[in-house]
Amino acid sequence: MNRKSLSIFSVLLLSLVFVLTACGGGGGNSAEPASSDDTKVAGSDLENATELTFWTFAGTHADFYVNAAERWNEQNQDKPIKLKVENYPFDQMHNNLLMALQSGSGAPDLVDIELAKFPNFLKGDIQLESLNDLIEPELDSFIAERLDIYSKDGNYYGAPTHLGASVVYYNTDIMEQAGVDIDSIVTWDDYVEAGKKVVEATGKPMTTIATNWYGIWPFVAQRGSDFFDENGEVTLDNEKNIETLQFIDDLVNKHKIAEIAPGGQYHSEEFYGAMNQGSQASLVIPMYYMKDFTTYMPDLKGKIQIRPMPKWSDSDYQSVTMGGTGTAVTNQSEHVDLAKEFLYFAKLSKEGNIQLWKELGFDPPRWDVWEDPQMREDNEYYQYFHDDIFDILLAIRENVAGIRLSEYTPDVLTEIDTNIMHSVLREQNLTPEEALKQSADTVRQKAGSKE
Amino acid sequence: MAELNANNRKNTLPLVKEKKGNKVLKFFNSQKVVPYIFVFPFIVSFAILTLYPTIQAIIMSFQRILPGQVEFIGFQNYERIFNQAFYKALTNSTVYMLLTVLILVTIPIILAMLLDSKLVRFKTFFRSALFIPALTSIVVAGVIFRLVFAESENAIANQIIGFFGFEPVSWQFNAWSGMLIMVIMASWRWMGVNVLYFLAGLQNIPKELYESAEMDGANLFQKFRHVTLPFLKPIIIFVTTISIIGGFRVFEESYVIWEGNSPGNIGLTLVGLLYQQGIQQNDMGFGAAIGVVLLLLIFVVSIIYLLMTGAFKRGDE
Amino acid sequence: MKKNNTLTKWIFNILFIVVAFIALFPLLSLIISSFRPSSELMRNGITFSINWNELSLSNYTHIFTQSPDYWAWYGNSLIISSLTIVLSLFFSSMVGYAMAVYDFKGKNLLFLCVLVIIMIPFEVLMLPLYQLMIDVNLINTYIGVMLPLIVAPTAVFFFRQYALGLPTELMDAARIDGCTEYGIYFKIMAPLMLPSFSAMAILQGLNSWNNFLWPLLVIRSNDLFTLPIGLATLLTPYGNNYDTLIAGAVMTILPIIVLFIFFQRYFVAGLASGSVKG
Repeated sequence: MNRKSLSIFSVLLLSLVFVLTACGGGGGNSAEPASSDDTKVAGSDLENATELTFWTFAGTHADFYVNAAERWNEQNQDKPIKLKVENYPFDQMHNNLLMALQSGSGAPDLVDIELAKFPNFLKGDIQLESLNDLIEPELDSFIAERLDIYSKDGNYYGAPTHLGASVVYYNTDIMEQAGVDIDSIVTWDDYVEAGKKVVEATGKPMTTIATNWYGIWPFVAQRGSDFFDENGEVTLDNEKNIETLQFIDDLVNKHKIAEIAPGGQYHSEEFYGAMNQGSQASLVIPMYYMKDFTTYMPDLKGKIQIRPMPKWSDSDYQSVTMGGTGTAVTNQSEHVDLAKEFLYFAKLSKEGNIQLWKELGFDPPRWDVWEDPQMREDNEYYQYFHDDIFDILLAIRENVAGIRLSEYTPDVLTEIDTNIMHSVLREQNLTPEEALKQSADTVRQKAGSKE
Repeated sequence: MAELNANNRKNTLPLVKEKKGNKVLKFFNSQKVVPYIFVFPFIVSFAILTLYPTIQAIIMSFQRILPGQVEFIGFQNYERIFNQAFYKALTNSTVYMLLTVLILVTIPIILAMLLDSKLVRFKTFFRSALFIPALTSIVVAGVIFRLVFAESENAIANQIIGFFGFEPVSWQFNAWSGMLIMVIMASWRWMGVNVLYFLAGLQNIPKELYESAEMDGANLFQKFRHVTLPFLKPIIIFVTTISIIGGFRVFEESYVIWEGNSPGNIGLTLVGLLYQQGIQQNDMGFGAAIGVVLLLLIFVVSIIYLLMTGAFKRGDE
Repeated sequence: MKKNNTLTKWIFNILFIVVAFIALFPLLSLIISSFRPSSELMRNGITFSINWNELSLSNYTHIFTQSPDYWAWYGNSLIISSLTIVLSLFFSSMVGYAMAVYDFKGKNLLFLCVLVIIMIPFEVLMLPLYQLMIDVNLINTYIGVMLPLIVAPTAVFFFRQYALGLPTELMDAARIDGCTEYGIYFKIMAPLMLPSFSAMAILQGLNSWNNFLWPLLVIRSNDLFTLPIGLATLLTPYGNNYDTLIAGAVMTILPIIVLFIFFQRYFVAGLASGSVKG
């Protein structure tokens, strides 16, 4: 903005101020923000505390960071922080962050960025701070696939919130009724056969498919394929993806052992309600969904067994790291080092990883804590599910597939949400091949025009 | 009226000063200068809050904008606008515009005429009842309509069609029903406002005209055709123009139901596309180009409409 | 003939009862639903088959005792809306009035500008405007939220239409009495425009109270959130906050309805006389 318009603006501003004061009771004091007791702040009572702002879109995350800050202040009395956590609506938080980074001011010190939105922040000159100095020394302790998601050109920009290993949650009531031993399901073919028995015996579907990317990406990635190759070329419509979508389509429309998820996705109240009533025999979703089970589906307590995903004949992967939020430090922070140190403390350190499990029920991205005695202490998740959750994870540690993100991943995900799943599964007016080709061309066109 | 008192009080300020009486004040009180002082805030705000951003948006539409990298790319943004998603959005917005114009012009005229007649009692109550939906914020309206048109067979919309023997419908997942929800929501919210506009227009029709028409033996339809319509014409033009503009600008109705991405893009509108591409996917230059195309579309359609109805011939007074 | 007439009266009155019912039904159903357990509501939607036993005040006790945030949002919305009403009526009425009663160069051009602003979708201007707010440091302030609403084109348009019908003879008489042009406006003409003020107070209040996109961009901290944004934060799968959401939604409509009922007589009269010149 140039000086001239700025001066015009200040004239307007002055006249405003005049009016505000002239109105007597109208102006002045009222411009003070109303405060509430419930804004999440840690360390406000400490002197010399450095203020850090944090944006998130999840109330549970907000509590987690506030607790972490309180622990930090106990252990680091020489450099206390005052952490101010702002909780925004999901979409708006990401939009506001984009705009703040774009315009060079207004961004917080730390911010939660959701997986599907993350690539938006890796375009142009990256406005996030590299976390390599925190991560590289301990890289071996992490499941690297998870860290790669938030990286570009060898730099890590996001601290993961969980591993998000995709697993299958089986409803044992239904499986027993159908007479299927869940440990006999080793391949996806077994899964289909089991599904047929379930439908026959109980009339309930084996699973439901979300019409967003949760309904396809885990399967595609587990097969060793993805939407982009290592050079960033669009591979959305490659042979494996077409076959995989065909498989999912068959579950729903040919074998009739799957239905479309109530509400179209796994995070809607419609879905929680149906699932809680035992409306389906199994669900493929990452581990973090344990929290959703304990919160929204109390009736299933003790009836859910966690198992790795069944295998494809052409791939060894038994799980995929999916979903999840990466926490980043923005370059607008005035205390980059402190913010990074705190981020390490809260989410990357061993202690932080243990808290991720204890407080949020998330599977920690550091596998070296999976055997830690603190992790094995009894809690609501062990009571709800079973004791060997992390033994299952340890057994498949080498077989967790990663996913490849590109700057056009958000475009692909939009195509999946709006076109692909809808026209293939629900409307059935396009074959998997047609739908994937069409969408891949749309994304290629966009990518091509930018070359 | 509190604000009026405040205004009066403020006004004593220049008055007191004026007693010193001099050329400066005379200048500020001359009928040539006064109107400019009155409209000054508007000119300033127009320049800063409309003109400047519009020009900026036009400039942006020729740029590729990434953090720290802004580059002029000529017409590239415009060249890639015309894809499938754009045509889908254009179709949705146009269909929505036509339906809302049709519903929100004809039905309010009929309701307003009935409310204006001697046939209906409790006019104030009915008028208020019709208007109250307009007081509901779009976020709240979205919550209500999502729950009314929920997928469950126990949700009201499904209970109603179930009463007539139809199967439950996944309202938010079909193209026809998605459009239906948006149109019903808009009609619900804006019906009362338009009724008020037409009521206002009707009150200006001299009753004698009806009487003389009756004496000439005109029937109900003829009275409507030759007395009511000509008098309502300016209001009809006004309401239709606002509805056309509002129809093309539709976004929030879709946004509160699907929160961005609708299945099969059944709820994608032009502004929705702008929002999705420009803001959600951080392609601001492209978003701005969509905005400019939308702007041209609105200008052209409204001006064609206004020319067809001869609105410009009346002059502004 | 007379019998026929009563019959049509009956038909039309019943028709209007139906219409009024349709208009009020969604709000009534929301109010009734606000007494239902909220997660059950989100699962099954609004329904006719209400289980009367499960109705309770718990959503309201929750919002009154455990949601201090909600009331902070409420306070912010009240402050922003009342300031917007006062400021926008003040500025817009002056502009509309001047355009109606004075002759000056550029008057028609100005009127064209008003129409143009009505036509431009806000979303097109949003990005540059946002940039502007950052440049002048108005992000996260009440003023930043209110600014784009302060000179409202529809209000200007409406005030102009209304003022066209004012008796200009009064102005000449006042001038002879030694009134300044400003005195004429504030002491004589503005009071005559009273009905239009109440009509616009409702419309402007409504716009500000329900404004969603813009405050969302401008406001940064939770304690400055307005109601619609605050409610939107509750609409997320990441936290189980539906208790506050539904009861909170009901409570947002109430002040506006009160305002409307209070002003409604003037409102209708104002709207009626204002749009005479269409």
